[in-house]
Amino acid sequence: LVLSFFDQFLSPTFLGIPLIAVALALPWVMFPALPSQWLPNRQLLLQSWFINRFTQQLLLPLNTGGHKWALLFASLMLFLITLNMLGLLPYTFTPTTQLSLNLGLAVPLWLATVIIGLRNQTTVALGHLLPEGTPTPLIPVLVIIETISLFIRPLALGVRLTANLTAGHLLIQLIATAAFVLLPLMPTVAALTAVLLLLLTLLEVAVAMIQAYVFVLLLSLYLQENI
Amino acid sequence: MGGHDAGSQHQFTGIAKYFNAYTITGRRNCVLLTYASLLGIGLFFKLKPKKQAAVAEKS
Repeated sequence: LVLSFFDQFLSPTFLGIPLIAVALALPWVMFPALPSQWLPNRQLLLQSWFINRFTQQLLLPLNTGGHKWALLFASLMLFLITLNMLGLLPYTFTPTTQLSLNLGLAVPLWLATVIIGLRNQTTVALGHLLPEGTPTPLIPVLVIIETISLFIRPLALGVRLTANLTAGHLLIQLIATAAFVLLPLMPTVAALTAVLLLLLTLLEVAVAMIQAYVFVLLLSLYLQENI
Repeated sequence: MGGHDAGSQHQFTGIAKYFNAYTITGRRNCVLLTYASLLGIGLFFKLKPKKQAAVAEKS
């Protein structure tokens, strides 16, 4: 009996041990290290093709200084996409539904880009806080607005990922419960609800991948502005 | 995206040479001036003496 629909988001503990640590370590076992052979097997080939292609695409707009972030972005993308996709399995816990985790990823990385920008090109970084060609009476207002939008970025990054995943999981649970409850009462409606559930699950698979990509893409954009 | 403005086509005179919304240094100076003004206003209200209010209350 499901007492509350939010129980699935409680960080699981067992005898006082936080199991979220196990959930966070799980993606590591999904990606085996590459052996010395050039073409090991299909899975490793696909995996390395994906990682190389993704990193190449993401680093295209970045200059040489930004290429130092390649490992971080690639590993962050794999981490998030694996956590999100694993969470779609029934009865699994999704660590990325926890705002603490997402803010813990977003804030330090965003802050790193800001500090890099202020340290290496202070004038340009500060000058970005005022759009070019602003009419003079609007200058103070726009500076304040741009500063607020700068500080909103890490919050938006973290909350976007949390909200998308939490809402998706909640919807899946609600519609699944509805289909299950309606089955003895109105089988036809239950069947339609089950079809809706299938479509929603497909949507959630897409959302899981897209949200991981958007997180990393936005970070690379923030880096682009500052490097 | 967001390329640096050379500012060579703008010829500003007077105060606009340092505070304008076109050159990158002009924009930087406007931003710093705005921050300094906000800080100044904040400090002014924080350190403002409240003697007048106390005197009015007494009488």
